[in-house]
Amino acid sequence: VAALLAGLGMTFGIAPREVTQGNVQRIFYLHVPSVLTAYLAFSIVFVTSLGYLVTRNLAWDRWAGGAAEIGTIFTALTVISGAIWGKPTWGTWWTWDARLTSTAILFTTYLGYLLLRAVVEERERRARLAAVLGIIAALNMPIVHFSVLWWRALHQPPTLLTPAPAAVSGVITLVFAVNFVAFALLFVYLLAKRVRISRLADELLPG
Amino acid sequence: MKDNWGFVFAAYGFAVIVLGGYWRRLMRLERELQKASRRPRSGRRP
Repeated sequence: VAALLAGLGMTFGIAPREVTQGNVQRIFYLHVPSVLTAYLAFSIVFVTSLGYLVTRNLAWDRWAGGAAEIGTIFTALTVISGAIWGKPTWGTWWTWDARLTSTAILFTTYLGYLLLRAVVEERERRARLAAVLGIIAALNMPIVHFSVLWWRALHQPPTLLTPAPAAVSGVITLVFAVNFVAFALLFVYLLAKRVRISRLADELLPG
Repeated sequence: MKDNWGFVFAAYGFAVIVLGGYWRRLMRLERELQKASRRPRSGRRP
């Protein structure tokens, strides 16, 4: 909570007003940490899905299910905050640009993953099918990230996580970093809680 | 360019509602499961 409040305080108190976009650029401090947290979540789904297929230990599956659920929420935040940012800067809420389309595919794939988990009742079968889908779905992440470099897109190229040094000021990078750490901590907290709930549910309703 | 504060607050407000709602849902689920796990199982009744 302290990290989130610090992030919010810095977003509205310390981050400068951007020269070309004005204050609407402050959505950046929500939009980019959201998508990076989603990447983190789906990377965990990938690793834990592999872990389940190798060991057949359901603890891996609980981590995968929890990370996918929270990652999907952060992807929804990315899409919605991007649409809200797009309207005043691009003049449209949505366009079928490579980055937006690949992110929408990422979102619907993990919605499908969660749907699969909801409809398959047999515990081992659910874990096995979800693990396979969790591995396949993660392959879309590099496509989302590099889509703006591979195809001509309305969405700007990556500001951070690029081979070249970031072309943004130190204050903006600092505020972004604080917000990303806050989001990552929130993700860890929510994931720990989600896994604990899944373990309790498995103990109460085995099979 | 105009500041468009309305868009900024809409984005942050949406995030607070979604994350807060999810957190509340987890808390409720956890409470219900803890309550259920403390309840004696029907098969164990004397």
